[in-house]
Amino acid sequence: MDNNYIFELKDAHFSYMGKYPALRGIDITVRQGEQIAVIGANGCGKSTLLHILDGLIFPDRGSFKAFGKELKEDAFNRADFSRDFRKKVGLVFQNPDVQLFCPTVKEDIVFGPLQLGVEKGEIQRRLEGLVSVLNIGDLLERPPQQLSIGEKRKVAIASTLIIEPEIILLDEPTAGLDPQTTRCIIDLLIQANESGKTIITSTHDLHIVEEISDTVYVFSPEKRIVKSGCPHEVLADEQLLKDNNLLHIHSHRHRDKSHIHPHTHLEHHG
Amino acid sequence: MYKVMFKNNNFIERSILGALSFLKESIFADEYAWRPGFLQSLDPRIKGVTFLLFILQILFTKKIPVLLCLYALCLILAKASRINLGFFLKRTWVFVPLFSLFVAIPAIFSIFTPGEPLAVFKIAGFSLVITRQGLSGAGLFLARVVTSVSFAVLLSITTRHFALLKVLRVFKIPQVFVMTFGMCYRYIYLFVEIIENTYTAVKSRCGAGIHYRGGQRIVAWNIAGLWQRSYRLSENVYQAMLSRGYSGEPAVLNDFEVRLKDWLWLLAVLGLALPVFYYG
Repeated sequence: MDNNYIFELKDAHFSYMGKYPALRGIDITVRQGEQIAVIGANGCGKSTLLHILDGLIFPDRGSFKAFGKELKEDAFNRADFSRDFRKKVGLVFQNPDVQLFCPTVKEDIVFGPLQLGVEKGEIQRRLEGLVSVLNIGDLLERPPQQLSIGEKRKVAIASTLIIEPEIILLDEPTAGLDPQTTRCIIDLLIQANESGKTIITSTHDLHIVEEISDTVYVFSPEKRIVKSGCPHEVLADEQLLKDNNLLHIHSHRHRDKSHIHPHTHLEHHG
Repeated sequence: MYKVMFKNNNFIERSILGALSFLKESIFADEYAWRPGFLQSLDPRIKGVTFLLFILQILFTKKIPVLLCLYALCLILAKASRINLGFFLKRTWVFVPLFSLFVAIPAIFSIFTPGEPLAVFKIAGFSLVITRQGLSGAGLFLARVVTSVSFAVLLSITTRHFALLKVLRVFKIPQVFVMTFGMCYRYIYLFVEIIENTYTAVKSRCGAGIHYRGGQRIVAWNIAGLWQRSYRLSENVYQAMLSRGYSGEPAVLNDFEVRLKDWLWLLAVLGLALPVFYYG
């Protein structure tokens, strides 16, 4: 593998239906075991990037290498390659309703390993482990439509983690979650990274960025990467965050005095 | 004076609410399948096969007393499965049997079924004769419909819907069809939620004061919007399937377990079916 990169995107462009640009000239490299956060406002191309990295869509222009080899759509026509790639890369979709399509939670969680030919005893072992970590034992026999958003997200994460992929892609995993569930998911990601997994998370929740990443890529509304670097450096650049809709002006009161300042993450924890 | 969209007597509102409440009722019916009861404890495949046997017995028997015995057995099974009998009777007697009754009424008269007269009516100079053969034929038809509908409903409300779908595999329905049915079932609820929320959002912004033409436009937009969402959703779901290794041949979990109780139940139903097929 060149330079040990597992993913390498060079000048990647992508547009939906050939007329709605979603990515413009993206350059990203990912090494095994890295923690990467992709931050940006809604509609800046974060999800599109993750879909490309998961081999679901392919750049219109530019190159995309996965595990050292150029990745093209027809590679997935070969069953052995497709199975191998899907075992290595797992994506947690932004909308859990998209990912949970089976009649019960249990069937949804085991869907991936069943398709990938994992032995049944092994599937059961992985299932039991995930159920205890995520505390979702009571949900197994329930239909996904009866779950709350937090429960759906946990199940969607379980349905990807059960594949035991080397690279985990997460599309806004904490959006709309209560603090406790958010904490549970962050701990799970930290644990997965400590065990050697590569974690790539797209988010616009700046509060979690420092914990879940070593490298941050900032996407602009123009669907380009405007900065990359370590989380502390990126989060300290208020102007950059403000220019890219990642920072808001916060007005609040202290006793009888009201004042306005930008709402940042580092102020609270820096 | 304005004709308004969201009045209680409005056709559109009644249709939307009617469809939604029907689907909600299906969710409610699924609750029975989760209760601990006799039929709920059986393996869905064995239950599916035995209920098919019951329905075949109903179709082959020509004796009303046998049908009544089978109907009584159906009610006993419902009771043993902790089904509220009022709910069960309402669910089984509405629509199909009542409709069948209307279909069967002409058959009791001599015009369609000649035979031994039982009663004669004169309406506007025409004499209508009810025959013994006609009455018995209509009775047999109605008893068959009621009993078979009752067994079919009993099977559906005591079996979780996804398990019922899996039973189709016993009858060699291809896995991909079974999976597609399951997904349809799952996403219908998602769309019900969307329709309900859209309806509430429109009502909260517009109240009752919408001209019926505006109302029609809103419904048309909703239909178009829903179509687009379902199209997009289908693409996304397919991507989610691909992402987890789906390659056109779905592999699914088969965690059914046939126990002694299931075999005993199968034997009992076979024991009942043989004399019915032979003498009935």
